[in-house]
Amino acid sequence: MSVVIDWLAFVQVFAAALIGAAAIVTFYALGLRLLVRSGRAPVVSPAEFTDAITVITEKEARRAAKQAAKAARKSPLTDVQKRIALIGAYGCFALCALAVASGILLIVVGR
Amino acid sequence: METAALIVVLVIVLALFFDFTNGFHDTANAMATPIATGALKPKTAVLLAAGLNLVGAFLSTEVSKTESHGIINEDAIRDAGAELFLSVIFAGLIGAITWNMLTWLLGLPSSSSHALFGGLIGATIVGVGLGGIDFGMVLSKIVLPALIAPITAGLIAFAATKIAYSITRRYDGKPDGRDGFRWGQIFTSSLVALAHGTNDAQKTMGVITLALITVGWQNSEQSDPYFWVIFACAFTIALGTYLGGWRIIRTLGKGLTDVKPAQGFAAESSTAATILASSALGFALSTTQVASGSVIGSGLGRRGSTVRWRTAGRIGIGWLLTLPAAAAVGALAALLVVWWGNWGVAIDAILALVIIVGLFLRSRRNAVTAENAMSDVAESGLAVELPDMPPPTRRRLRIEQARAKAKAEHKAKVEHKAQAKAAKKGSEQ
Repeated sequence: MSVVIDWLAFVQVFAAALIGAAAIVTFYALGLRLLVRSGRAPVVSPAEFTDAITVITEKEARRAAKQAAKAARKSPLTDVQKRIALIGAYGCFALCALAVASGILLIVVGR
Repeated sequence: METAALIVVLVIVLALFFDFTNGFHDTANAMATPIATGALKPKTAVLLAAGLNLVGAFLSTEVSKTESHGIINEDAIRDAGAELFLSVIFAGLIGAITWNMLTWLLGLPSSSSHALFGGLIGATIVGVGLGGIDFGMVLSKIVLPALIAPITAGLIAFAATKIAYSITRRYDGKPDGRDGFRWGQIFTSSLVALAHGTNDAQKTMGVITLALITVGWQNSEQSDPYFWVIFACAFTIALGTYLGGWRIIRTLGKGLTDVKPAQGFAAESSTAATILASSALGFALSTTQVASGSVIGSGLGRRGSTVRWRTAGRIGIGWLLTLPAAAAVGALAALLVVWWGNWGVAIDAILALVIIVGLFLRSRRNAVTAENAMSDVAESGLAVELPDMPPPTRRRLRIEQARAKAKAEHKAKVEHKAQAKAAKKGSEQ
């Protein structure tokens, strides 16, 4: 009985998963960074779930929102620069979604 | 033939039950983090997970093909006879369910997928002989992925966490936008739920298809499972996910480690990417183990973290133990069939019934506590120790050094000026 192991398949899985995960995380993080640059720092108050860990309280959320607003006022960027950053942010989020969609499409078509 | 038909029905029922417990158990993997970080309301999270598991089951059937057309030698089945082999599949399922229940009661980290494979392999070796198993296939599609996938998922999660933090890191004290990863987690955890459907629901489809081929109700040339098989498995796993989710929600937040949104996002992306890529190539993975690997990897990706080797070792041993242990239980169940024929099957069926009833009673009697409700994945986060204050990055160090230097220079300048002034005053007097 010969045992043949397809090592290449493991490399394929590793490479595909690495590229996929890295693309999603990079684009999403870049999008967030640009969103902050455009003066719209995301403040997400937690859903109704109080005793969970590392969830910020409402007070903290308010403080974060205030800080974000202050930073936005202070931001020396012009309106045009801010708009470009915002468009860039949405572009990054779109690329992120595209990466996910193409990955799933590859799986469905590839079978 | 009538006995064979009866056993096929038994196999299908038992396989679907297994599918249900799988969904029941594994919701936490996909949805624990977004609920814990407050990204999703628990109700929404569970519904989303159930729906996406259903969709995922339809996306790819490669894993099911691995199981129905890969690991068992068809010639060996033909030689052994359909009826005996059906009983063997049945015994394998019983091995899997028994082992699953045992680990659940004892609180050991385990994997339902490996329990299933272990049970099937053990039962086949006893019932049909060593020739019944295609060891090359078992090694390359089950054993090696089982060992490699959690590690690669951990590596990918490590890299992804580093990327997420380095891109959003700021040194000027302005908001860094990391809070936005909470939104992102809604999508990544949905992807994990989808990936779960592409891998875990397939395993049950594979078993049912194998039984149908054995009894001759499906042509062995046709590798895709029947639509009704896909639908039944998808629906059962979604139902299990939906019902099981409520158990987890009641106690969530106690005993889960400190997972920050950015870290959770990175961990979930790597889990989803690894499972989806493996499903596409027909690797049957344990989704629990991949998710655990990612959680550990992403914890290590944060600055200043260290591994708690004792906890990590315990998790690792649980991973390694499942397959052979379930194989042993499956082999025992098959031994009954080999010794007593149909009586053995009947004894196995009664055993299965006792186990299922026991499981049900146990779940009713047992109050949901932090120990049994949290998933293995959340527990694996404990394998990484994180300091309250991570050490500064190299850039932060440089900035601080430069600031200290500037301060010292300024101080020296002021002192020098004061000295000069005093000297001038002295000379004037």
